[in-house]
Amino acid sequence: MRLPKLPAIGIRAPRLPGANLKTLGPGSVSSLLKIALDVAYVLLALITGVLLLLWVASIFIPIDNLNVTVSDGADGRQMPLTRPLLLFGVGAITAYFGGFLMILRGLRKIFRTLTLGDPFQPDNVRRLRQIGLILAIVTGGVWVAQGLVAARLAPGVMEPQGISDLLTPVFSILVVFVLAEVFREGARLRRESELTI
Amino acid sequence: MAIRVQLDRILAERRMSLTELADRVGVTVANLSILKTGKARAVRFSTLDALCRELECQPGDLLAHEPGPGSDLGDPFDDAED
Repeated sequence: MRLPKLPAIGIRAPRLPGANLKTLGPGSVSSLLKIALDVAYVLLALITGVLLLLWVASIFIPIDNLNVTVSDGADGRQMPLTRPLLLFGVGAITAYFGGFLMILRGLRKIFRTLTLGDPFQPDNVRRLRQIGLILAIVTGGVWVAQGLVAARLAPGVMEPQGISDLLTPVFSILVVFVLAEVFREGARLRRESELTI
Repeated sequence: MAIRVQLDRILAERRMSLTELADRVGVTVANLSILKTGKARAVRFSTLDALCRELECQPGDLLAHEPGPGSDLGDPFDDAED
């Protein structure tokens, strides 16, 4: 059964500002974002380097009579700073920054291809999958670490993260993997187009 | 793929080089090479039209279907990024 065709009512969606912005190629939004990513990458690399040196130094520096205060803003309690605790803390923060450094590295390479105006390259599929994997590891690591801190170091002061706190990060990770498949299909179509004479 | 492009034979009959044909048809020599060596995935009708015009032949003179074992090699780009 065919439905009757409704008459046009003459309403058109408003044109979004910036709809004509150049998003790919030299001098585009992508090239601006790439510059921002480059700056962020250098800063994060410096921070991660310092943290790594600090972690190595933590193995040797004397920590006798040092305490750490665990507080939720109102009440707090002090506990002695032990070397495993120091190594765990500094190591966890270093790993966190290191993970995001690797994500930025992948994003920089992806945006380099966007600046060249050729986004659908096979390497971008691999990079997106790597970004998704690193994001999953970092998210899982943070969740586990916060759980450990809440249970062992700061019971009653810090609440552990629940499963519901993972919903948004897991959704983001899945979106990244879906984007990787979109780019895979794009790369396949690009190749088909190249081989169409 | 079981479709064969018989460009070599016709070029020899017409005593024409690949470069000359590329210039006349408006396709790069590299792309004609891809066509000649059977690596092309598709041919546009406009390209086929230009080839037939310059070589003074029919599409059936250029293209042949030769099914056989190993003729369907699948998409070489599948999972190429893995």
